[in-house]
Formats: sequence, C-alpha cells, structure tokens
Amino acid sequence: MAEKSMKLWKDWRLHLVVLAIVMVAESIGTHSIPLGPGAILLLPMLYAVIIGLALYFTPLVSEKQSINAEPLVFLSVAVLIAKFGVQAGPAIPQIIEAGPALLLQEFGNLGTIFLALPLAVFLGLKRESIGMTHSIGREANLALITDKYGLSSPEGRGVMAMYIFGTVFGSIFIGLISGFLATVTPIHPLSFAMATGVGSGSMAAASLGPLIAAYPEMSAELTAFSGVSNLISSVSGLYMSIFVGLPLTVKMYEILSKKRDLKAAGGAEDVKKS
Amino acid sequence: MLKSLKEWVIVFIIIGAIMLIGNWIGYDIMPLDALPGIAVLIGISLAGLVIHRLLPFQMPSIAYIGILGLILTLPNMPGSEQIVAWTAEVSLLAIATPILAYAGVSIGRSWFDFVQLGWRTIVIGMFVLLGTFLGSAVIAEVILRMQGII
Repeated sequence: MAEKSMKLWKDWRLHLVVLAIVMVAESIGTHSIPLGPGAILLLPMLYAVIIGLALYFTPLVSEKQSINAEPLVFLSVAVLIAKFGVQAGPAIPQIIEAGPALLLQEFGNLGTIFLALPLAVFLGLKRESIGMTHSIGREANLALITDKYGLSSPEGRGVMAMYIFGTVFGSIFIGLISGFLATVTPIHPLSFAMATGVGSGSMAAASLGPLIAAYPEMSAELTAFSGVSNLISSVSGLYMSIFVGLPLTVKMYEILSKKRDLKAAGGAEDVKKS
Repeated sequence: MLKSLKEWVIVFIIIGAIMLIGNWIGYDIMPLDALPGIAVLIGISLAGLVIHRLLPFQMPSIAYIGILGLILTLPNMPGSEQIVAWTAEVSLLAIATPILAYAGVSIGRSWFDFVQLGWRTIVIGMFVLLGTFLGSAVIAEVILRMQGII
C-alpha cells in the first residue's frame, strides 16, 4: 500500500488542514447532551470527522488530499493499535480472567444477521440483503463478497452499499450510540469495551471514545479490553465471515424470504424474479 | 522496503506532531511530557509494519502492532513500567481525533455515492452496526456476569 502512495508526507496542505481540524475540535472539547435517562457524548473526534467531511466541499481540500488521506487513516490507526497494545500488557491478568467473554463476544458480531437481515427482508430487499447484513461490510468483507458473487451481483451491490454507508456514516453513528447505550442500558461498560472490536479501526476509536469519556476512572481497563477485542477481530473477523457469518446469512435469507413470499401469495413478481 | 520505511518514518513524525498538539490542547499534557510516549507508540507501529513485511503469515499488520505493544508491557518485562508510564501521557482520545480528521477528509469523495443510497439502506445500515455492536456487548455481559467479574 505505502509503495503506491508515495510522497504522502509532501501533501502539506492535507496535514495543515488536519492540524487545524484537530486544534478546532480539541478546543471545542467534550460536551454531553442528556437524553432521557442517558446521555449522548459529543467528542472532539466526532467534530473532526464532520469538519473533515465538510471541508471536502471547500477549496481547501481537493480530490488529491482526499485520496492521500486514506492511507494516512491507516497509519494513524496503527498508532492507536500500539496504544491499545501497551494498555493491554499490564492488564493481562484481567484479560486472561475475562478470556472466555473476550473470545465468545466475537460471535456477537453475528448479531447483525439476527437484527438487520429480517428488517432488510421485511423492507422488501432481495439478495442485496445478504451482502448488506452479513457483516459490517468493511474492506475484507467487500473482498469476500466480490470474490464469491462478483461486484455487480445483487449481493455485491448490497455489500457495496453497506461499505459506502459505513465509510461515511459508520464512525459518526457508532460514536453517538456507544455512549448513549452505555448510559441507558444495564450492560456494563466493560462489556461495551469488548464490543468495540467490530473490525474497523476508526469505528473502534469512535465507539471507545465515549466510553472512556463517560467512565474515566475505568479508562485503562476499558482500553485494554477494547484493544484485545480489536486484536481478536482483526485476526479472526474474516474467517468468522467465511465460515459462519455468510453461510448463516444465506440460510436465514432463504428461510425469511420463503416466508415472505408465502405471505404475499399474490406477489408472483417476487417469485418470478428470484 | 527502505523507501517505504523512510516514508513511514516521516509520515509518523507528522502524525505524531499533530497528536502531541491535540494532546496539549484537549488534555493539557505538555508536548515535551508526551514526546517519549508518542515516540514509543510510533516505534511499535513501525516495528509492526516491518515485521508484517518480513513474515510470510497472512496476518494484518495491525495484529503485529497490537501484539508487540502487549508483549513489551507485560508485567515483569524489562522496561515495561517505563513504557507504560511514558505512553500514559498520550491520551487515547488525542490519538483518535486526527484519525477521524483524516477519515473525514477521505470520506468526502464517497459523499455523492452516500446520498444516492436509498433510505432503506441507511436504516438497514444503522441496524447492521447496532446488531454487531450490541450483539457482542450482550454476549460479553452474560459471560462476565456468569463468571462474577462484573
């Protein structure tokens, strides 16, 4: 990757824009909006992604900066992962103690299949729903679906749509819900920390941030658990999709869509198309 | 390899400087105090990227980086306390803000594709994220409670 993107460091405009975004975002600081029994936490990283997106539509940022920014996300995520690592080392006794939970929560990533797939079928989507809901649809899953079905297949269109959605809206959305869920549900912040390993570095940062801001006294432990969860996801995530997630989605889709077609007895069109 | 190593170093210095400034503005830690910490984190990142290139296994580079950071800070590891103390001066949130600033600039290009997604995709997308996140949290919660950890 780094070979293709030569002379990244020479894009001073990009780095200065990012520096300015960071300075503005950190100056605004963290704000908490009470919502019912919980609160939504607005963190500097949330302003940063929104300001960055908005600046794309100004002359300050051109296509070139936007293209160069992509590998820089990867390299700055590397620093975050290093931070995850150094927080995890000292917490190794707690991590081993919580090992079963850390490993098994990986299966929770399949929750999308039980929550989002029925909704997609209910909303009338066809095989697109397989691509859309079998995982959070990051790069590895895009590659998996493309490899298996082709990008122009319904499954391919579905995973592409989810990829675009996650790229633009993923970190914003998960950043907003993570703090809120941690404050309104009876689920412990440590469990949410383990859930932050969803398979995307920027989404991990966006979902862990509000947890740390809401429970600063637990920050070291939250970071350690989140780090290990991310590590497990990054190693096992794709295999999980290949061997469990995708076959399960296909199976569930067939059952759900059969039910739907039976219900819509007059919906001959649906049957004909599939 | 050498060429990209040189580029990685320069890019990391730029990113590190931005993180130090954010760490100062947002979390009141003087850049000089956080400098050793950010240098260690960058060193670990670089080492992970290099190991990823040298070893033949199909593991993502971030896995090497995470494992390396973990090993260096294991209890009883020589120098681990120093690394922990140094890196504690770099707030995780200060690291996250520049990541998402770069991400924001980078996703601008996808905006027009994004607005063309139908409302159903947006709704389903939110449920995909919610299901993935909440599914893991619920399983973790059940097991941690069974073990009596929380």
